[in-house]
Amino acid sequence: MMTGTSKITLAARRASGADLAIIAGIELGGALLLGFFLLTDDWRLIVALLAVFAAGFALLQIRPAIEDRIVSAFHAARAQALGLGAVVVLVYPFMMQGSSYALHLLVIAQLYAVLALALNFQLGSANIPNFATGASYGIGAYCSALLAIDFGVSFWLTLPIAALVATGFGFVLGFPSMRTRETYLALVTIAFGIVVHQLLNNFSWTGGPNGLVGIPAPTIAGHSFTAPIELFGQRLPSQANFYYLAAALVALAIVCARRLHDSRVGLAWNALRCDELAARCQGINVVWYKMMAFAVDAFLAAFAGSVYAAYVSYISPDNFTFLVSVTIMTMVIVGGMDNTLGVIVGAFLLTLLPEKLRIFADYRLLFVSVIVILFLILRPQGLFPQRPRSYGGR
Amino acid sequence: MDAFVMQNLMNWLVLSSIYALVALGFSLLFGVLNVIHFSHGDVSIVAPFVVLATVQALIATAFPAATPGALVLACAAAIVVVGLIGVLADWLVIRRFRNAPAMMALVATVALGTVIRELIRMIYPQGSNPKPFPNLIETRLMIGDLTVPVFSLFVIAVSVLMMIVLYVVMRHTPLGMRIRAVAEDRNIARLMAISPSRIYAATFFIASAVGAIGGIFYASYAGVVRFDFGIQLGLIGFSAAVIGGLGSMQGAILGSLLIAGIDTLVQATMAEGASYRLVFAFLLVIFVLVLKPSGILGRTVMEKV
Amino acid sequence: MSGPVLEARNLSIRFGGLVAVAGVDLSLSAGEVLCIIGPNGAGKSTLFNLISGIYRPSSGSVHLDGRAITGQPAHRIAAAGIARTFQSSRLFTDLTLVDNVVIGMHCRTRSGVLDALLRPRHARAELEAAAERAGELLRLVSPDLYQRRHTLAGALPQADRRRLEIARALASEPKVIMLDEPSSGMDDRDTDALIEDIHMTMAERPGLSYIIIEHDMRLVAALPERVMVIDYGAKIAEGPFAEVRQDRRVQEAYLGQRAAHA
Repeated sequence: MMTGTSKITLAARRASGADLAIIAGIELGGALLLGFFLLTDDWRLIVALLAVFAAGFALLQIRPAIEDRIVSAFHAARAQALGLGAVVVLVYPFMMQGSSYALHLLVIAQLYAVLALALNFQLGSANIPNFATGASYGIGAYCSALLAIDFGVSFWLTLPIAALVATGFGFVLGFPSMRTRETYLALVTIAFGIVVHQLLNNFSWTGGPNGLVGIPAPTIAGHSFTAPIELFGQRLPSQANFYYLAAALVALAIVCARRLHDSRVGLAWNALRCDELAARCQGINVVWYKMMAFAVDAFLAAFAGSVYAAYVSYISPDNFTFLVSVTIMTMVIVGGMDNTLGVIVGAFLLTLLPEKLRIFADYRLLFVSVIVILFLILRPQGLFPQRPRSYGGR
Repeated sequence: MDAFVMQNLMNWLVLSSIYALVALGFSLLFGVLNVIHFSHGDVSIVAPFVVLATVQALIATAFPAATPGALVLACAAAIVVVGLIGVLADWLVIRRFRNAPAMMALVATVALGTVIRELIRMIYPQGSNPKPFPNLIETRLMIGDLTVPVFSLFVIAVSVLMMIVLYVVMRHTPLGMRIRAVAEDRNIARLMAISPSRIYAATFFIASAVGAIGGIFYASYAGVVRFDFGIQLGLIGFSAAVIGGLGSMQGAILGSLLIAGIDTLVQATMAEGASYRLVFAFLLVIFVLVLKPSGILGRTVMEKV
Repeated sequence: MSGPVLEARNLSIRFGGLVAVAGVDLSLSAGEVLCIIGPNGAGKSTLFNLISGIYRPSSGSVHLDGRAITGQPAHRIAAAGIARTFQSSRLFTDLTLVDNVVIGMHCRTRSGVLDALLRPRHARAELEAAAERAGELLRLVSPDLYQRRHTLAGALPQADRRRLEIARALASEPKVIMLDEPSSGMDDRDTDALIEDIHMTMAERPGLSYIIIEHDMRLVAALPERVMVIDYGAKIAEGPFAEVRQDRRVQEAYLGQRAAHA
């Protein structure tokens, strides 16, 4: 636990060489670890990398001071950390040795990161159970796909429209939260998710169980997203287009998350998470803030849905089931509630792990579930627990 | 017309009975542990697989041909085994979340459900494929121009019997009193020399064993069972328990009657009923909870300030 | 403005057959301190819950500055200018002290979701200013709390929790502040400090009116101008403490019938 005084000195501190070294070490080391993980097929290496990852967290668990030191480094040299992070993200596809599979995994992982960040507003910030993020994701995907296929609307236009439509649904879903709570509210969201899934499955205009095929890919300045990127004499597979699009979306989600978290709204959500009645007595309109949480969740999830639809060009109801919602929920809890970085790491881990465990073929789902359970037992606060807000120019 | 109505009435009661057997487990576990055991449906659906496996084992050894005796024995074995699986699930996973936030336990048991489904799929030969499940009682009664499967009557009778047994056990036996004491306050119960961990084990055994009967009936009613049937059975049982009011046994039964009612009604009256049954069932769930936020018979707890 | 700040008339609530509060009248002028005493379960906290909008009264009315607020939701009443603390302190334990006090300023700040997303500088500046004021408020209530302002509220000892709750209530710049047994769980020294704190805030904010539910007779003797006694949900006496303590019915309620007659 940091004391008030150490915080103040920390705020005034200028970035030192040690800070920059820590940041470079963490960001490049993380990128390297992820890169090896994505590119290898050798299960021994995969297990070894996972062991390194786990050891890192075990170390943090035993020595919390290390985590504090890392956080303080990132606070002190925020601009440098952001700059380096942006460079890593931009350059990353060039390091993937042209592997379209690795890039595909990164696209999916990033979309799940957006979904997890969306859900984090509710589950993490406000402790509202929502098992319908998958439904908002699906509404976004179907909405933009239908607009593109049936009306020839440009992808860039479908993006905001789908988000607005899903936000509307989010409000509708948030409506019962006026009165229902906890397990009962959880069931309302489960029921909503199932109803959406079943309707997508039954309507003829959504293509029924077969879904929608031939969703056009976006183009930008005449460059189709299905074409490879040629840059600096390098040729990136077409997935790279969506990699950058998804990365931009993740950036947008992070900005939203940070801004809302460090605002009066984030505080109000945190307040009602801890004690709804006390929150009401501070003048917080609890119902309104809950509905806002539903709306923000749906808004971001729909963005992810639109990008997903355009990326895979084929969607069916089974992409948006109850289990998808549960997966997103697990990502938030495993990553760390109300911690942006944690939620993103959780999303990457739970997207990549089952894929890389394909070598265990039949056992991978079992494996992942067991890991999730062990996780909840051994590190219930998540990979990165929530940290206190900081004030005063940081 | 009359036959049609009677047929659907019968379907309604049979479905209600099956759902209620699962919903009662949810309600019981929530009432005692304040925990949503989301994998309860998956635990219950293990039962038909144990039945199938036991019947085959019996045929291969003791019983030369498929006799009713083998089936009865297999069902009894399945109920006990599944009861123990419930206890094991608690001991391995759920008990570690007694003091954790409700959401953690919920997610953990969802993951546990996946573990159970995957284990069925792996352990049972060709577990990914649907398995035909025998009709427990093939005989049909002719009443006037109405054919009544004895199986339907049997399902209803057994369910009603189980409800009565559960009620009597909970209200009028020392065990039931201990369970209720632990549900009321685990620490005070401990002072009364009641061991909460034993009570939890007993509760999990009872809930899972009753769920197992529901699972066997469900498979027999459908004529087929697959490793992932537990998701839907669990979701419906959970919904029934919640809209009835968690922790209330009467509520679980009422919720089952409602959900099975809309299910049967939609299938009987709509052209595409089969594909819309879940839509209407879960719209009903939303509708009920919007009107009655703590379920129909659930107590609205006034928060102490 | 000459009328009372807060006025409740004939306030009642029934839970099923139980009448928890029965026809209580209450009137409070600006800057006044009113103490409510009465045996356990007399309906004191329920009265607070009625005024702060947690319960909806079965009958009767509540006016703040002459404006009817009867039956309005709690967050509106808080925004209208009634702040409160709780008998068992209800802090946001997983947040820092500053966060707790800033949340108390919720209805005195404006930024919504769109401000936070689209005008982050503006929203951030508002929050920073609120945090600044929260710090000052904490310093005013207790320098010790100010020192610990970036630690989690859940880690505070009981007496400091009460202080923080009072700071949070003050943060909303209320017209009326209601303290529900502020001294419960405190030893004598803490209670003295609390009395001092309350005197200090009274000096700091002259127009602010207080309603205090209290058991500790030292505190009751030290603070209020007026005392109101509630038993079985009904008001049985009201007036200066010295007078009220002589009232036979009050003694009966507190000591039991026989003792009072003896």
